[in-house]
Amino acid sequence: MKSFLIFIVKIVLITVLLAVVLDFGYTAIYLNSKSRDKVADVFKSKARSYDVVILGSSRANNHFVTRIFEKNGLKTFNYGMSGGHLYEASLLLKLMIERNYEIKNLILEADLNLSNDKQSEGVAAKFLPYIHRSEIIKNHFEQESNFNELYYIPFYRYLKFDSKIGSRELFNTIIQKKTVANENGGYYALGVNKKGNMKNNILSLNPLKRNKYYEEIKQLCKTNNIRFIPIMTPMCENVIGMNYFEKVKSAYPEIHNYENVVIENKYFSSCGHMNDNGAKKFTSIVVRDFFKK
Amino acid sequence: MFFNSLTFAIFLPIVFFLYWFVFNKTKSSQNFILILASYYFYSCWDWRFLFLLVFSTFLDYATGIQIEKTENASTRKFWFWLSVGINLGFLAVFKYYNFFASSLATLLSDFGLKSSPFLLDVVLPVGISFYTFHGLSYVIDIYYKRIKAEYNFVDYSLFVSYFPLLVAGPIERATHLLPQVKVRRAFDFEKAKEGVYQFTWGLVKKVVIADGCATYANAIFDHYPAMNSWSLILGAVYFAFQIYGDFSGYSDMALGMSKLFGIDLLRNFNYPYFSRDIAEFWRRWHISLSSWFRDYVYIPLGGSKGSKSKQVRNVFIIFVLSGFWHGANWTYLAWGFINALYFLPLLLLNKNRSNIEMVDLKWNLRSIKEIASIFYTFLLACLAWIFFRANTITDAVAYIKRMFSNGNFASQYLANERYNYELLAIVIVFVIVEWNNRFSIEPISGRKSGLKLALAIAAIIALGTFSDYKEFIYFQF
Repeated sequence: MKSFLIFIVKIVLITVLLAVVLDFGYTAIYLNSKSRDKVADVFKSKARSYDVVILGSSRANNHFVTRIFEKNGLKTFNYGMSGGHLYEASLLLKLMIERNYEIKNLILEADLNLSNDKQSEGVAAKFLPYIHRSEIIKNHFEQESNFNELYYIPFYRYLKFDSKIGSRELFNTIIQKKTVANENGGYYALGVNKKGNMKNNILSLNPLKRNKYYEEIKQLCKTNNIRFIPIMTPMCENVIGMNYFEKVKSAYPEIHNYENVVIENKYFSSCGHMNDNGAKKFTSIVVRDFFKK
Repeated sequence: MFFNSLTFAIFLPIVFFLYWFVFNKTKSSQNFILILASYYFYSCWDWRFLFLLVFSTFLDYATGIQIEKTENASTRKFWFWLSVGINLGFLAVFKYYNFFASSLATLLSDFGLKSSPFLLDVVLPVGISFYTFHGLSYVIDIYYKRIKAEYNFVDYSLFVSYFPLLVAGPIERATHLLPQVKVRRAFDFEKAKEGVYQFTWGLVKKVVIADGCATYANAIFDHYPAMNSWSLILGAVYFAFQIYGDFSGYSDMALGMSKLFGIDLLRNFNYPYFSRDIAEFWRRWHISLSSWFRDYVYIPLGGSKGSKSKQVRNVFIIFVLSGFWHGANWTYLAWGFINALYFLPLLLLNKNRSNIEMVDLKWNLRSIKEIASIFYTFLLACLAWIFFRANTITDAVAYIKRMFSNGNFASQYLANERYNYELLAIVIVFVIVEWNNRFSIEPISGRKSGLKLALAIAAIIALGTFSDYKEFIYFQF
């Protein structure tokens, strides 16, 4: 039995050692390779200067056409992240500020994402490789219930979020597999989708009275002299009459309601996402209203 | 509580400690702690089903004794059929009733008769097919005087409820397991070490192969009308490895952990995808179930004796029954039927026992033929698995039709945001590892076992699928 117990102790030690080595290896690779997503891009960057930075979910990523801003002489990057919540938008902004970004205007897509202040696990996972290298990231995650596991157990974060930062993503990072995340100024155009789902029931959806991360972003902008432009972006015809956007307006009067500037289904790829034509039409209106007056 | 869960990682060492350090004095105390652990393990799913398990155990225990005690043939028969009837009755109610009721309603509606069947709102008790078959084999063996009845209730209960095999087998035989629980087990370091190796390899099969393949197979099967030929072929291959990794991985974990308690369980898988014909495949796949049907259905029906027509009938009966054992769905019946069709030519040509030993290749022409046979058998198995995996027979037929008619073999981006071919490299490495170790139980033991164990652990940590947790497929049976 003694031999067996020694054998088991050895296995446990090997497992811990492997976890430490793998953790070190994964982190080193993510730190030292070309960025494949917006989080890595910001994390590895140094001071940048922008006229306009766009934050939000896919409804920012697919709706604000960077090129149109650029054509109007505004140096812009769309940092909207598909699936992201305000939790990640706030953290990304904190990282930018930590890296001494000079930002004049911040457009925040703030509409459906106001309904929760939880993290979006898939997007938040993209920050985790750097959790030991950034106090900002560590502090942001500190409030999460699984922080101790993520921070102290070696490799746990790569194991827990294997589909986002696990072996497959690591392999793609090593071979520098092409990604479109940072192309076109961060804007991702959606095509015309004739089979797109043009129904989205947001009747029961309610914005939080005070979304913690919305307020955090607002405060960060105020502190850092960034012009804060929160915008509700369009949805398809189907949601007309579902008064979600009115609810947002009454809770957050400062958010600009652009829900109805594009409504025809031909401009949408799915109910919550405009196609490239819709995005261009919408972006032109936003540029006209905020940057040409 | 699954074998690959954190709770089980806590449960197993506690039971191990209690078994060897607190309750190790006598056979009875060892069995007592294992029974306690097994009932706790089972109650973690749903404590209410514990009553069913205990009742089923008591029924077979009591009827076994009555059958043995009674010399009168009709009384023996009464106790025998009482046990068989109640056991199968439980299965019928929990597993098959709704299927038969709704199928009958569909049939009646086809004839223009409207009916609204009374369906039961019950959850299938986990492992019911496995422990029912345990009990049945025990009672049948006593009835045919192959074994003696067990008079010690704790020992018998352990035979039925032993937690490593309780929910997904292997389906044990009284002749094999009961003698082991009748004696005090002494700790054997080598056996325990083998157990750890086998458990670890089972975990590799589950979290690296089965769960990895499941992600791709699900994305393909769930969207098959939009998939091209290449994706559909890969979907079938991924599912073949998913179900193999899942079930043989589970079996390896069960066998491995049982060795930690000094108990050997029946081998359930013996590298089935290296079979050269379907008969060999069935001697290597889910061996404990195949042999159960062989011993308790096929041979009593006459087996391979008698006229060819009777032999054919017997083959169809056991394959269709085997399919039906898996679940109350026409797809499982079709899967069993297709396997019977595969088996038929071998039976008619008396070639069903041509390949008994594990394939051993040499540098000659015969080996090329053997490799071709392995690929051909794997292809047949994959086609049959499509029926097993599909939601309906119509879906399975449409899947196969599209696979052969689409003609597009380009890589395709799947709903899981990955390309269809991405997992192939891991599957190929897995096949190579298994091929090189096909004469042993698992690939870790032997020379450089420490290094191989470290590699296996590294594979589990680095390549395992943990974020998209998947249950063991066979738990639903």
